[in-house]
Amino acid sequence: MAAAGVVAALLAAGCASSGGGSGGGTSSGPVTITIAENYGTEQNATALKNLAAAFHKLHPNITVKIQPQNGDNYFALLQKDAISQSGPDLAVMWTGLFTLQYKSFLTNLKGEIPAADLARVDPDALKWTSDSFNPANGPYVIPLENQFYIGFYNKADFTRAGVTSVPTDWSQLYAACAKLKKAGFTPLVYGNGGQPISATFYPWYDMSYMMIGAYPVSQWQGLYSGKIPWTSATIKSQLSNWTKLHSSGCTNSDVVTNTNNLGQFESGKAAMMVDGTWDTAKFTSALGSKVAAFAPPFSDTPIKGVVDFAGDGIAQMSYSPNATADGEFLDFMTTTQAASIINAAGLIPAINGTTTSNPVNQQMLDLVSKGGMTAYPMLDNVVQGDVVNTGSKFLPSVLNGTQSVTAALQAMQTTLNQLPSSQRGNTFP
Amino acid sequence: MAAIRQSGRSSRLNKKMAIWALFTLMVIIAVVMLYPFWYIIDNAFRSAGQFDRQAGHSLSGWKELFANLPVTGQLLNSTLVCAASIAIILIVSTTAGFAFAKLRYRGSGMVFLLVVSALMVPLQSIIFPEIVNLGNVHLTSSYAGAVLVYAALGTPFATFLMATYYRGISDELIEAAVIDGLGYERTFAQIAIPLSLPAIATVTVLQFIQIWDDLLVALFFLPTNQRTITAGLATLATGRTTSIPPLMAGSLISAIPAIVVYLIFQRHLVKGLTLGMGK
Amino acid sequence: MSLTEAKTPASVPAAARRGRSGRATRSRLSRRRRRAGILLSLPAVALVIALIGIPVGQAVYYSMTQWNGLIATWIGPSVYTALVKDPIFWRVVENNGLLLLAVPFAIGIPLIIAALLNEHVRGWRFFRSVYFLPTAISWVVIGMFAQRFFSATGVLNNLLSQVGFGASATDMLAGEHSALVALAITFIWSMVGTNTIIFLTGMATLDPTLTEAARVDGLSRLQIFFRVTLPLLTRFIQFSFVITVISAFSALFSLIFVMTSGGPGFGTTTLEFFIYQAGFQQVQFGTAALYGVVLFVIMAIAGLVQLRLIKPDDGGGW
Repeated sequence: MAAAGVVAALLAAGCASSGGGSGGGTSSGPVTITIAENYGTEQNATALKNLAAAFHKLHPNITVKIQPQNGDNYFALLQKDAISQSGPDLAVMWTGLFTLQYKSFLTNLKGEIPAADLARVDPDALKWTSDSFNPANGPYVIPLENQFYIGFYNKADFTRAGVTSVPTDWSQLYAACAKLKKAGFTPLVYGNGGQPISATFYPWYDMSYMMIGAYPVSQWQGLYSGKIPWTSATIKSQLSNWTKLHSSGCTNSDVVTNTNNLGQFESGKAAMMVDGTWDTAKFTSALGSKVAAFAPPFSDTPIKGVVDFAGDGIAQMSYSPNATADGEFLDFMTTTQAASIINAAGLIPAINGTTTSNPVNQQMLDLVSKGGMTAYPMLDNVVQGDVVNTGSKFLPSVLNGTQSVTAALQAMQTTLNQLPSSQRGNTFP
Repeated sequence: MAAIRQSGRSSRLNKKMAIWALFTLMVIIAVVMLYPFWYIIDNAFRSAGQFDRQAGHSLSGWKELFANLPVTGQLLNSTLVCAASIAIILIVSTTAGFAFAKLRYRGSGMVFLLVVSALMVPLQSIIFPEIVNLGNVHLTSSYAGAVLVYAALGTPFATFLMATYYRGISDELIEAAVIDGLGYERTFAQIAIPLSLPAIATVTVLQFIQIWDDLLVALFFLPTNQRTITAGLATLATGRTTSIPPLMAGSLISAIPAIVVYLIFQRHLVKGLTLGMGK
Repeated sequence: MSLTEAKTPASVPAAARRGRSGRATRSRLSRRRRRAGILLSLPAVALVIALIGIPVGQAVYYSMTQWNGLIATWIGPSVYTALVKDPIFWRVVENNGLLLLAVPFAIGIPLIIAALLNEHVRGWRFFRSVYFLPTAISWVVIGMFAQRFFSATGVLNNLLSQVGFGASATDMLAGEHSALVALAITFIWSMVGTNTIIFLTGMATLDPTLTEAARVDGLSRLQIFFRVTLPLLTRFIQFSFVITVISAFSALFSLIFVMTSGGPGFGTTTLEFFIYQAGFQQVQFGTAALYGVVLFVIMAIAGLVQLRLIKPDDGGGW
């Protein structure tokens, strides 16, 4: 039947054009490898592009093709590729519990990459990509950069409004907000700029700082195991203070639907925002020396920590037919040349002995090395994915005032309680 | 006499006013229907800065679109996927429609009901087992998986439509052709198909629009380098660029083929729908 | 509809007219017909069973597991009882129900528009094409526009301020309920084209003498519409109802995907989006299959109910 003929032709076409590389496993013949990424328009995308170009110059027989993907369902796409055992050769992978969740289709890089080269990577970054977060178990991901999830503020706006010192706790923050508002600025701007157009802002940067203000880093495991319930009074109080930011006019009114927060900060109209190193260079090129970093002061006592965490990197798919070429690219990422490319994109390299040339990034590093701030991981990388998802659903509306603090925290607690005990133990898996 | 003539004139005036009121109403509705089109076209020809200010025009949006998305490649993919899926749907639904309408066998009524009731199965209910099944036989590394899914999803309605159409052909015509020595299969090919071209056109138009604009299947059954324009556009919309004009430009490109197909087949669509009602 | 006139007995070949051999010929014919029938209907049946039937069964199985596509861990039917106790699930189903409230509007407004077009005012064919045009735009594009339309700095607020209602500026997509309303409005707008064409087609098939007779009897336009036209359009209204409800369940997905991503909170999360979320955002295929089975059952029940409503009117069954 003709229908069978059409189907047969399609199957034949399918077998001929399977995705992935066009060559064998050796790196001598011409090979094309693909890297999937979900970076959107962040500087990470630029860094990756430049890494690919530089790598190709060093290995002319290896062509690197980058595949930008939808950020919303990125991991499901990777999962589907794992099921059909065909997809990209390398892919951006988030660290922490994300890596552990998907490690079934990630290649353990211990042995594939020479130990000496792995030793060049900042061990604090590498450990979050290994089993039990112990780097001796071998990393699944080579971190792209060291990230800070942190607050930025506009020094000129502060001066104009008469804010003389950077706020370090809730009451100082409210005071600064009042002055900034009076001077006509949006004190603290929220929006989904840079992220999927339809999504609301990502609430877990703020949550991290609220938890920094609430608990020392050693107690954070209690949030994972449930020893510290999400409905605890401390957490409730932190969130209530956070909601007050919106109701007192410290933030813009359309926190849940604003799409232009980056533009508003870059133009100076907004004085503060919570963001990360993936946008530092954008800010410094727009605002020059007017922009500086600070720890969002979501604390009753002076805030003592910042989120310093290598949140993402590149992993090798276990089904990639080009393991050798993949390994060479991952190895390239541990070199000082790669570090300078990453630095040039405005990021902080995760390679030992390298520095960042962006002054605001350096300021962040100084906060930890000289300012005595504790480095915390990013909260959504050390809390169960289900709880993160629930939080992402409810927390933006909490800031907006349309969802009660109690209800949101209860929902997160319910999600945690429904997880099997293997996923909320006293140690990480 | 004068009184009647008087009322005639005023009622004619009323009628004229009514017509003008009607016309105005229809124009207003047309504006409501077309305004998004206008918005998209207007903003497709702006740069990001011009979009924020809502003033001025330029081609930079188009440049950014083509820089960030393999537009021509994806348009080609869309065309290929549509053509292959519709080909399968037509082949499968015309044969089955003819069989269910004219070539009854024991239980064919139940089988027909089975096929048509598949219409009620929502894609989301079966998409995950589908992905895993097709992934396991490596059909998701090419067009094949998506085409098969589209074909399966479009077959129930198409079969129903074709069967309705074929019911309208007289039984004697078929029997006579068979007795003349044509055989049922040949009768179908040489007699039934030419008579059902309007229905075929209807199915083609409806399925073309549906498959061309589909997001979910394209996003998850096609490998990245064989994406359709709708899937590519959605990927663009959710992070690849935060400036709007390229998205508007892409939307425009994506909308044009469907509009063209609709305008060409308009008349057949109306006829096909009428007959689909089982008149 | 009859495409040819019936052949006269004289033209039927002689062999079929003869007695014993006639019967043999006829039974041979009927055997050939049966075989041809099975053969010709096989591809469709095979396609539907393989790609729709079997996955439905699999979905039922996997709904009772924890599954990420690669490994499935059995949980058992308790997932269904747990689901019934889940308040978020009921919230989601409630959203589906609320959106169904938009269906009467999605049918009623096109009915009115079709009636207007049916007056055949000058240029009505042009308007007909124009009204159907939005159907050709993908839902992704409509959603992107709608998102901009309803936003705080969007088109709607601009229009409101231009006509002097600036004080009632809204941010519809920020509130859980207002976002649902915005979604419903967008849905109704996009169904206008399809349903208008259906009703217009229906009105064109109506016997004009019936409306003429009613007018002669002295009925007003409005009365004619409600008492004569509408009842004659029953079949078309039923058809449009089926299509609209199916769209309300399925096509809305792309709108939600682009406009609100199910938010804020669970405000615009319908069951189809809930499935997408579980499967594609949280990579929990088992949970997604569970919601998928529930959706299928709801659709099946709705379909059966509609079938019951339609069937009594339908003279010729299958």
